[in-house]
Amino acid sequence: MTAVPLRPDLALKLGGRAIYGIDFELPGMLYGALVPAPIAHGRLTSVDLSAARERPGVVAISADDVSGLTGGHTGDAERPLFARETVVYRHQPVAAVAAPTLAEARAAAASVRVVVEPLPVVSDLEAAFPEWPGSDAAASPRVAAHVHARRGDVDRAFRDAEKVVSETYRTGSVHQVALEPHASVAEVTGDRYTVHTTTQSPFGVREDVASLLGLPEESIVVDGTWVGGGFGGKGASFLEAYALLLARASGRPVRLALSYREEFLLGRTTLPAVVRFETGVTGGRIVARRVRLLLDVGTSLPGRDFATGYSIGFLLGPYTAPAFEVEGYAVRTNKPAFGPHRAPFAPQCAFMVESHLEHVAREVGRDPVAFRRDHLWREGMATPFGQTVGPFGLPSALDSAAELAARWRRDRPEGHGVGIGVGFWSTGTGAGGEARLRLSPETLTILQGEREIGSGSVLVGLAAVAERRSGLPRGRIRVEYADTAHAPYDAGVFGSRTVGALGRAVDDALVRLLATLAERGGATAPLSLAEEGGEIVVRGASGTTPVRALLTAEELAGGGLAAEGKHYGRSGSIDESLVLDGTFYPYTDFTGAAHVAEVDVDRETGSVRLVRYAAFQDVGTVIDGPAARAQVEGAVAMGLGAALTEEAIWSEDGRLLNAGLVDYRIPTITEVPPLDVTFVEGFLGAGPFGAKGLGEPPIIPVPAAVASAVRDATGAHVTELPLTPERVARALKPNEP
Amino acid sequence: MPEFELVTPATPDEAIATLRASAPGDVAVLAGGTDLAGDLDQGRVAPRRVLSLRRLPWRTLDWNGESLTIGSTLPLRTLELDADLARRLPGLYAAVRAVGSVTVRHRATIGGNLGRAAPASDLVPMLLALDAEVELLGPDGLRTITVDRLVRASRETALGPAELIRAVRIPEARPSAYLWQRVRPFHDISHMAVAVAFSPSRRSWRVAVAGFPPRPLLVPEAESALAGTRPDLVSVERAAEAVGRHAPIVADRRASEEYRRRLVRPLLRRAVAAAGGGGA
Amino acid sequence: MTAGPLSLTVNGRSRRLEAVPYSERLLDTLRLRLGLKGTKEGCRSGGCGACSVLVDDRSTLSCLTLAHEVEGSSVTTIEGVAEDPVGARVRDAFEAAGAVQCGYCTPGFVMALTGLLKEEGRSRPFSELLEDLGGNLCRCTGYAAIVRAAAALREGDE
Repeated sequence: MTAVPLRPDLALKLGGRAIYGIDFELPGMLYGALVPAPIAHGRLTSVDLSAARERPGVVAISADDVSGLTGGHTGDAERPLFARETVVYRHQPVAAVAAPTLAEARAAAASVRVVVEPLPVVSDLEAAFPEWPGSDAAASPRVAAHVHARRGDVDRAFRDAEKVVSETYRTGSVHQVALEPHASVAEVTGDRYTVHTTTQSPFGVREDVASLLGLPEESIVVDGTWVGGGFGGKGASFLEAYALLLARASGRPVRLALSYREEFLLGRTTLPAVVRFETGVTGGRIVARRVRLLLDVGTSLPGRDFATGYSIGFLLGPYTAPAFEVEGYAVRTNKPAFGPHRAPFAPQCAFMVESHLEHVAREVGRDPVAFRRDHLWREGMATPFGQTVGPFGLPSALDSAAELAARWRRDRPEGHGVGIGVGFWSTGTGAGGEARLRLSPETLTILQGEREIGSGSVLVGLAAVAERRSGLPRGRIRVEYADTAHAPYDAGVFGSRTVGALGRAVDDALVRLLATLAERGGATAPLSLAEEGGEIVVRGASGTTPVRALLTAEELAGGGLAAEGKHYGRSGSIDESLVLDGTFYPYTDFTGAAHVAEVDVDRETGSVRLVRYAAFQDVGTVIDGPAARAQVEGAVAMGLGAALTEEAIWSEDGRLLNAGLVDYRIPTITEVPPLDVTFVEGFLGAGPFGAKGLGEPPIIPVPAAVASAVRDATGAHVTELPLTPERVARALKPNEP
Repeated sequence: MPEFELVTPATPDEAIATLRASAPGDVAVLAGGTDLAGDLDQGRVAPRRVLSLRRLPWRTLDWNGESLTIGSTLPLRTLELDADLARRLPGLYAAVRAVGSVTVRHRATIGGNLGRAAPASDLVPMLLALDAEVELLGPDGLRTITVDRLVRASRETALGPAELIRAVRIPEARPSAYLWQRVRPFHDISHMAVAVAFSPSRRSWRVAVAGFPPRPLLVPEAESALAGTRPDLVSVERAAEAVGRHAPIVADRRASEEYRRRLVRPLLRRAVAAAGGGGA
Repeated sequence: MTAGPLSLTVNGRSRRLEAVPYSERLLDTLRLRLGLKGTKEGCRSGGCGACSVLVDDRSTLSCLTLAHEVEGSSVTTIEGVAEDPVGARVRDAFEAAGAVQCGYCTPGFVMALTGLLKEEGRSRPFSELLEDLGGNLCRCTGYAAIVRAAAALREGDE
């Protein structure tokens, strides 16, 4: 029998029957539209809704209406839904309208008169700080967050080093580009606020909306639809609060959806960065490191210090540093806010630190792989921040990658280059989740609060955990979703945490359920479940018993034997004495990958073609082979976009110049090379059976691996992402053979 | 999007009459519609009336000996799949495949591509190098002009207010090639492109460059540098220099001037080689 | 008059629709008027391919196509693809290869590939078949499983 991937959503999706956010309808619903700020920065002197309100069937709201619609609450002052007094990015919502049709809603939105007196626009990070900011900059209103940490006498370590290598890197802004635009359908009945929405986190949206609208969480019900890709872009609330306010104001259900252009214009994503590295080396070993980061955080939302304090660790990489200093500034610009994006900013960080360390190795005459290996973390060592490294498959992955790269390099045709990239990550098993199980004679049902976003982590991953724990074939396991009023809490699909954290809750519940069965059957654990004669049976040391025989009449009538499980993970800790300013974050578990890329570079045009690619991926334990492989395949392609083609381009006056899918270039089917995936197992993580998350880690090494291969092929040392043909050509000396 | 009336005449005369009866700006001509759709959505045009050419008998493709006449409303995908195109006009085959995607080319037409004079057209440079002529039908009957005269600038043509493109005529099969440079190889906009063709009848090369504003153009100075059916590398080099000197290459947000200039030599050399001109 | 009647055959069934605005896109006719929401609305500007359907067996972007321009044509959407022998094979190949993750690009991809396989002259190299799918974007699968599905279909042809 061939291994057919069991995805219960395939038939539905291939039949065109999955209902996504934009497909969802309620009878009598109105259509919403947002009214955008016309310029990127200015004093908002007037938002005149009267022309819109005169149109038949139109409701219009702006900042003044928010408190009136939610019983006097002004909402979350740090995250105003509508601009008030000032606008800080182009297309920032200043008002919202709803009308009987989408065309009427758009016309009504266009009729709102918005007056903004222009203020100077800062759209470019380096225009905000033409000189590198000094220590006084931490207090600047331009700086949303400042983080600073140091270990040892860094200045002295640099003075004493045999060689110091300094470099500056730049990375661009990338968008998530989930193909399904954001869409929410809201209805308000009395004090009950219900929103049907495409989201990675129904409970996160509930929490956000409660805060934004100043409402108790109990009054809000979030119902997730099918999700057409998330990649972080659907991780937090976005349209839900606006749709609910419009529904409240109109007394009718309201659908609010973004056009794809608005996806780009309003999207919260990875923004540009500039990084300066200094590395001191003595005797071929690193003795001192300094990393300084300017990170564009746009208009900045809460969580901005997370962007700086978390990502700066990825700029050190999974490498030791006897003496080090890191300092990062989150810089406000007139753009939408920085937001999550599949391992936010980590692929860019890995590109920078890997390219830099490879450069350092070459400068001091060492083999780049051996140089990495000498400094790579291993289990039991301390990170620069003093956290003990847990089970970590990266060293083993790097060994395999190096071996393969050497083979590929031997075989390569003239003009091809082979490169290695390394990336590490901590999967977000720190966030909590709960699951409810029900075992009937026919089915084991898992009720939970995450919606499948495509990766398979919910529908495949959770079922696979249950199969592995109980032995019950997956055909007898059903993963069910319910809205926030009916499902147990879970933090959501982000941080590669579904299998690792919610899977633990499922496993916990299942262990309890098996224990109950053991008690009732008088058998001793471990028990397993199996299918026999069309029914589920319990197998133990003392024989086989039908589940039916172990359930009470009440349970048989009520859907089965219930069990609940939960998992709230814990992170490690860092040495806080190193922290001079801001917040740094410990990791939950340690995972990583080493990737190998072979490229063919056109030396005259700078075009880079991927020839083949291999990923050695730490995963702890593979829970479902096909789903795990699919995650790596998807992440590598997405990483290739960040490496080679994807870049959002802003003008000086804060306009996004390529807000569409022809000019913002995600990879097509022609650019993705043949890919080998090898899982490194046995370095167990915090998830069930030692699983580690896999949604994000495989994207991280990709730009680093590609840049390394380009350098190998041509000698071109490109210090800016993406490696567009023009950038590669510029890095090549003309007429170089 | 504003509403409009849709007129679908069955004869060319009716179509011309419709155009004559409308004030310019009030009427938009719809061929495949893949380009016009964006203008309608963005409000760049707001016609009261849209004239659809779909019922006109112009979805034709005729080889007459070595010359090819392409009806203006023939879908590009149909042209592309013609059994003889890739062999007789390899450059045009490559240029057609460079337009949008298959799903676009099933509706997009050669007439629409010329008539709307998209600044980054991949067809125009190749049609220039093939000395293609365009049959225009108007109130005063039929006239024929070269593609070079038809396409004046970005979104600007020599079409009269009541004229339609009836067909594009390519005088002869030519060894030819179309090469482009893009960030993403497919489904992207060419930011530098070179079209070359060798005319067996005139025994000379044609060279057109494209990918930068305001429009694709022929570079006669480069053509005179390419002597003979198999120009040597030195003459290709001279032709590339001539392109650099005479083509008004500029920067835009897709590419810098310096990078575009740098691309001329390799693209031209490879195109001449691909068209059978040796070298490279 | 900015609207008029429209006759189409959709998934084998002839439909006559009244007062369809001339400005209406085929995408909206299918999704909003006929309730065939399997055809997905992505970028709505020809950039993603999610809205691809077959019009007289030719893969077509329904977002860029005025509904009246395909008057009298036969339109096949994902909901009807299983009725088409080639479409059914493509659908099954996607299922067998697990070429679906979030599923949002899937209907368009299935229709585009079905259209290509229905074109005459299958002797084109496989790389060209992939180039011909370049207008259909997928962000989840990295295309690997889609390539496997297409390769399996190609093998089945030979």
